[in-house]
Amino acid sequence: MTKVLLIEDDDETAAEIAAELVHRGFDVERAATGPEGLDKARSCRPDAMIVDRLLPEVDGITIVDALRQEQVRTPVLILSAIGAVDDRVRGLRMGGDDYLTKPFAIDELLARIDVLLRRPIETRETILRVGSLELHLIKRTAKRGQRAIDLLPREFRLLEYMMQHNDQLLTRAMLLEEVWSYKFVPATNLVDVHMGRLRHKVDMPNEAPMINSVRGAGFILRAAS
Amino acid sequence: MQLPDFVRTTTFRWTGSAFAVCIVLFCALVYWEAAGYMLAKTDAALNEESLAIAADPPARQLNAIDDRLSQDPRHIKLAGLFGADGHRIAGNLESMPHDLKIDAPVQNAAAIRIDQKGPEEMTVRAIARSLPNGNVLVIARNIDELKGLAEVVARALMLGLPFAGGSGLLIGMVLSVRAQKRVAELNTLVRHIVAGDLRQRLPTQGLDHPFDELAEIANGMLDEIEALVQEMAGVGNEIAHDLRTPLTRVRLGLERGRANAKNLEELQTVTDRAIGGIDQTLTIITTLLRIAEIEYGGRLAGLDNVALADLVREVGDLYEPIAEDKHITLHVASGDDATVRGDRDLLLEAVANLVDNALKFTPAGGCVELALVHGNNESIVRVSDSGPGIQDNERKAVTRRFYRSDKSRNTFGFGLGLSLVAAIVKLHGFRLTIATGPGCVAEIACALPSVLMSSC
Repeated sequence: MTKVLLIEDDDETAAEIAAELVHRGFDVERAATGPEGLDKARSCRPDAMIVDRLLPEVDGITIVDALRQEQVRTPVLILSAIGAVDDRVRGLRMGGDDYLTKPFAIDELLARIDVLLRRPIETRETILRVGSLELHLIKRTAKRGQRAIDLLPREFRLLEYMMQHNDQLLTRAMLLEEVWSYKFVPATNLVDVHMGRLRHKVDMPNEAPMINSVRGAGFILRAAS
Repeated sequence: MQLPDFVRTTTFRWTGSAFAVCIVLFCALVYWEAAGYMLAKTDAALNEESLAIAADPPARQLNAIDDRLSQDPRHIKLAGLFGADGHRIAGNLESMPHDLKIDAPVQNAAAIRIDQKGPEEMTVRAIARSLPNGNVLVIARNIDELKGLAEVVARALMLGLPFAGGSGLLIGMVLSVRAQKRVAELNTLVRHIVAGDLRQRLPTQGLDHPFDELAEIANGMLDEIEALVQEMAGVGNEIAHDLRTPLTRVRLGLERGRANAKNLEELQTVTDRAIGGIDQTLTIITTLLRIAEIEYGGRLAGLDNVALADLVREVGDLYEPIAEDKHITLHVASGDDATVRGDRDLLLEAVANLVDNALKFTPAGGCVELALVHGNNESIVRVSDSGPGIQDNERKAVTRRFYRSDKSRNTFGFGLGLSLVAAIVKLHGFRLTIATGPGCVAEIACALPSVLMSSC
C-alpha cells in the first residue's frame, strides 16, 4: 500500500485530506507539528509527503530542507495558505517537488500526489507510446495507428506531457504550470481551448476517445479501450 | 498662562535682544549728537563774547565782565582779567588756568571759581585773549550741564526702554499668541482628522502666510487620502457585493437541491454548480490577495533577465486559439529584442492579462494586436484592440480593483485583471498607460537595464 505522510497542524483540514486519501486507497500517517513530522518522515519511510508550509515549532520548508540534507528523496508536496510570489520559488528551491496554494480542490491535491508518486522514470526513449498513439520526440512527429497527426509546437508539448503522465488526472493548473510554465490560473478557459484543439486532432469522430475530460477537475489521456 | 511657551521660542529671544540693543544704540546716538551740538554752540558764543569784550576800551572791560557775570542765572559763566604778571584784576576766576593756551581756539581747561561758597574746581570750556595793554582776558563756561544732558538722555532711556520693551513685548506676545492660537487650532483639527474625520480641512486666511502654504499642502494631502479611503471603502463594498452574488446563488441552489433533488444524480448536478460558485468566489479572493501581496510585498523574488520578445511570443501562442474561437484576429509582432530585469512569471501574467482583457472586450470579427516596440530607452509591450475602448473618465478607474466598464457588465470577469497588471508593473518600476485609440490601447513601458546601469 502506498504510504503518504501528512504534516498539517490544522486538525480539520488534516482530517479532510486524510479521509480523502484513505478513500483513494492510501495508507495515511499524520503529524501535527514540525518535529513530529520530521520524526515520522525518518521512521515511517513514506512514499510521498504532504507538508504544510506554516507549522508550529519547525517550519515546513525547514523540514524538507533537513530531509534533503539527509539524502531522503521522498517526493514532497508543499501546502501553503500564502501564495506569496517568492514563497513558491523558495519552497521548490528547498527541495519541495510541487507546491499548492490553499484553498485548493481536493482533486487538485490528489492529482498532484499521483503525479509525484508516478514520476516518469528518466528514459532515453525517443518514442512515447500510449495505446496506438505514438510520439516521436526527435522527429517531432505523431501518429495514431497509421494516421499521421500534424501538430503545432504547443500541441506537441501538451501531448508529450500528457503521454508522459498517461492514465493520470491532469488538472488545468498542472497543465498550465508544466506545459506553458504559467504560475497562475487565467480567467479565460485557456486550457480547455487548447485541449479542444488537440483532442480534435487526436480523436477523430470515428475513433474511440483517448483524451477524456473529468468534470470540474481536468483531463486524462488513456489508451482507447 | 501661555507666556513661558513663547518666551522660550528662539525667535522671541532674538527679537527681544535685538530690540533692546537698538534702543540703547539709538539713545547713545542722540546723546552724542546733542552734546556735539551744544559744545559747538558754546564754543561759538565764548569766541564771540571774548572778541566783543576784547574790543572794548580797557575802562569798559571791567564793567563788561561784571555784566556778563551778573546775567547768569544758571551760574555757568566764568570770566577773568589778569595782568601781564598773572595777578587777578577782575572776574570770578581765582587764577589764570595754567593749562590754557593764550590766543588759541576754545578748549578744555581746569578752572577754580571763587565767587560762590568757596573756591570750586571745575572743568570748563575756555578761551584766553591777550589784550593790547598786556592783560589777558579769559572767558569760560562750565560744561557740567553736558553731564546733565547725559542724565536727561539716560532718564529718557530709563523711561523709554521699559515702555518700548513693554510695547515690543506686547506686540510680540500678541503675534505669538495669534500664531500659537493658529497652531492650537490646527492641532485640534489634525487630531479630529487623525480620529477619522477626513472631511475636515485646515482653514486658510487667504494671506501669503507660511501657515497658509502649510495648510494648503496639508489639504492637498488630505484630498488625496480622502479619495483613497473612499476608493477603498468603495472597493470593500464592491468586494462584498461581488462575493455575495455568487454565494447567494450557491446558497439558493443548495437549498433548492436539498428540497427537490429526487436522486443522487440531480443532487450531484446541484452540488457541482455550488462548487463552481464557490470556486468563483475563491478566485476573486485569491486574486485580491495576490494583488495585495504584489502591492505591499514590494520586492521581486524571481528577478532575472527576461527576453520580452520570447514572452510576447509565448503569450501570443497561448491566446491564439482563444482568439480564433472568438473569430478575432490576433496579430503578434515581437520586433524588439530587448531584455529587461524582472520576474518572468509576473510579467507573463501581466501581459497575458492585458491580452485576455482585450480579447474579452473585442467583438467577433475585430482584431487584437500584441506588439513589442522599441521606445526611448525602454521597450514597450502594446496591446491594442478594436473594441469599444475606454472613456476618458473611466481610464483611471479601470486600474482600480473591481472596476468594470459599464458596457461590459455582462461579460464574464471580475474586473480585477487590470488592477493586477497595475500592481505588477508598479512593482517592476515600469509604466502602465491606458489610452483610447479607436479601441483600447494598453502599454507597459519597460525600462531597459542597460540604461539604468550606464547612468549609474
